[in-house]
Amino acid sequence: MVDSSDRQRAHDEFLAEAQELIESLSRDLLLLDESQKQGQSNPDALNDLFRGVHTLKGLAGMFGFERIGSMAHVLEDLLEDLRLGRAELTQHTLDVLFEGADGFQRLMAEAKTGELADIDLDAFSTLIHSVSKAEQSAPNILADYDLDPGMLSVLTEYEEHRLRTNLEHGSTVYRLRIRLPLDVIDSALEDIKQRCKNVAEIITYLPSMDGGGGDSIDIEMLMASQATEADLRAALDRQDGKLTVVQRRVRISRSPDPRPPVPSQRPKDLPEPTFAQAAPARTQAEQSASLRSLSSVVRVDIRKLDHLMNVVGELGTVRSGIGRVVEKLRNGGDAMRELASETHRIHRTFNRYLTEVQEGVLDIRMVPLSQLFDKVAVIVRQTARDLGKDVRLLVTGSETEVDKLIAEELADPLMHIVRNAIDHGVEFPEQRAASGKQSQATVTINAYHKGNHVVIEMSDDGRGIDSASVRESAIRKGLLSDQAVADISRQELLQVIFMPGFSTAAQVTDLSGRGVGMDVVKTNINRLGGAVDIESEEGVGTKVTITLPITLAIINALLFEVRGRLMSIPLASVQEALRLDSSMIGTIEGREVLTLRGETLPLCRLADLFKFAGESPIHSFVIVVVVGNRRLGLAVDRLAGQQDIVIKGLGRSLANVPGISGATDLGDQRLVLVVDAASIMDEVLAPKGNHLLVGGPS
Amino acid sequence: MNDSLVPAGEGPLAVEETGMREFLGFVVGDEAYALPLSSVREIMRLPPVTEVPRGPHDVLGIISLRGQVTTLIDLRRRLSMPESGITARTRVLLVERRDETLGLLVDRVLQVYRLREDEVELASVLGADASSYVMGIGRPGVQRSSRRSDSEEAETDSSILILLDPMALLKQYGGA
Repeated sequence: MVDSSDRQRAHDEFLAEAQELIESLSRDLLLLDESQKQGQSNPDALNDLFRGVHTLKGLAGMFGFERIGSMAHVLEDLLEDLRLGRAELTQHTLDVLFEGADGFQRLMAEAKTGELADIDLDAFSTLIHSVSKAEQSAPNILADYDLDPGMLSVLTEYEEHRLRTNLEHGSTVYRLRIRLPLDVIDSALEDIKQRCKNVAEIITYLPSMDGGGGDSIDIEMLMASQATEADLRAALDRQDGKLTVVQRRVRISRSPDPRPPVPSQRPKDLPEPTFAQAAPARTQAEQSASLRSLSSVVRVDIRKLDHLMNVVGELGTVRSGIGRVVEKLRNGGDAMRELASETHRIHRTFNRYLTEVQEGVLDIRMVPLSQLFDKVAVIVRQTARDLGKDVRLLVTGSETEVDKLIAEELADPLMHIVRNAIDHGVEFPEQRAASGKQSQATVTINAYHKGNHVVIEMSDDGRGIDSASVRESAIRKGLLSDQAVADISRQELLQVIFMPGFSTAAQVTDLSGRGVGMDVVKTNINRLGGAVDIESEEGVGTKVTITLPITLAIINALLFEVRGRLMSIPLASVQEALRLDSSMIGTIEGREVLTLRGETLPLCRLADLFKFAGESPIHSFVIVVVVGNRRLGLAVDRLAGQQDIVIKGLGRSLANVPGISGATDLGDQRLVLVVDAASIMDEVLAPKGNHLLVGGPS
Repeated sequence: MNDSLVPAGEGPLAVEETGMREFLGFVVGDEAYALPLSSVREIMRLPPVTEVPRGPHDVLGIISLRGQVTTLIDLRRRLSMPESGITARTRVLLVERRDETLGLLVDRVLQVYRLREDEVELASVLGADASSYVMGIGRPGVQRSSRRSDSEEAETDSSILILLDPMALLKQYGGA
């Protein structure tokens, strides 16, 4: 028993760690893709990629996931060739690498479920080898430069490749000779690395045989940079170093000189120990750096956090309980007064610490949206390439944080919207050119915090949504009657896209037409207590805006009563709550509306909507809810204060109940329903019966 | 608050060894029913119920089970029995259904019956009209527990138990 649960834990541990590695692979691949498109090389990303795959290989081997291991093995071979310049990084190579990352993802699912993923490793391996053989390295440029043969001879294959690449890209090679004290050599080297990080690439460094005393050593460094000597000097900011430019031996004309490959000179007369001494020093520095960064991060199972969150939530109800006791004591006469103030002090202190704990736990659950946007970027690239469209992705606000749970639930909707945008929105390059647009389309994602909400806007500069085809499709699918379609405004028409069973694509494509549509997106977002809105202008583009609460864990809610039943609504969706005066209520086209400071908004009597039995309601208050850019007044009987609550979902048996997002325990064993403002809004604002032929569940 | 009669699945005698099967008997409306004892996790008194508007007809509402939101199904409605109101003997049976625990409201809990092979008849004896959730008829004939009080015996004929299949009974509530 113990043995198998240990194994399960190890298995889980592997999955978690491998998942992180695979996610960072995608990130590095995107960086590579970006630099490749700009005609630059990105050795850092390539190295990270190589290390990641290598680590994954090791992990998989350790835990016995052979298929992941062999996948990593073949990828590692290709990456090694790329790193050493034996193969060239092309878009085709990147495709293969992306395919590899996707393959890992599917093999992970296989490892998780035990169901064999449909991946032909042999075919993939053949593909990889065809790629790495395709390109041979360029002629050697090193012979043209006045490089110390002693130094050249100790360069590793990789360093030599980096040096060559830099020279080919027109960088200048510098030599830096600097004396460093032995006792702090690691940190001194690290300091130099940091200083020239953005200016130059350090190819290698070696301790010099001559020079230096008992407590210091001369280091010879080879670095390549696009910057001028003066700039590099300024970046280094060290007076004691001697910086020289490595000169080119032969003067050549400006045009590139096609030169036969010259074998590199590799005299073997330099003593071995030099190399042996230099290498360990560097790896050690690298290792300690990476260990440091790892040790400050703790990976936590989200379920543990959920549990903690629940406990904190229960403490919140304890706090409210004490609050009530304080109130009672206050009204209990002189004898109680002293007790009241003492309890009040305790209550206040408790409150302060509890708030801190709450915020702390919430903060742990927060993750930056970049995790999500990286995945979206992969989708954008793949979708665009599959369809033969040219798309660039601009992301802002990826550091915006949301609850981990929300980030996870958001993944599918985002992917779907982005696929839709590229598939249906973005035109082919030639069509774009013909209509006077840039042939490269732009998909923009912008995320930011707005109060207790996070807003994610996704826009494209494609063709926009064609009203005529939406109308036609809505009628054909029986979603709207001819009459309704004629009356409807463009903004209302766009809402039709969110109706179940709607899809404008003339033919269902493999990409976005998988039977799920924007209705699923909307349902998912609503379930999280959020809203999704769409704006579109024909010929100009489409913008989808998602508004979500930052966290689902603990929220501030407004309590109210409807026909004797206590209910609650997240305060985040409440604009205001006020006394309802009959003079404020009017009727427009058979619907009740509320006039508030000169503005008109629809009114919904909750007791009627929920068909609560009992005495006729008083409706003496109205709660104005706002979701996205829509508002609605909810008539209720009585307001019952504010409280922090932990929303718990209803079970699957009640998953389809409209208008309710969950329930909360206020501490007296009685559950209070939490009203879902967004879904009530959809229900109330939906076109009336005669417009709508097919509606929600009846 | 929870008067757990028997910890589920931990009967003194293992089912396989004796050829006996254990059932928890209870009354709904004017019939005696039984569920496999192993499917019942706990028996509790009726806690405060929160009504869920526009939920399925059989669902009475939700209850808090140690902070966990639990759906309460009125077995009287599910089994199309008359509703006789809530009494001091009304109980909630907690039954695990895949990933969700459901509460079942019953009018009264009888006892645990250990039925021999020959005390159980298959549902097919009832013909094609039998509901899918009836898996058989139990006749705890001669073998009786001495714990049972005679007053209960008088009210309901528990000599015939309708044996319910929990999976089929609860399938409609968002399950498989």
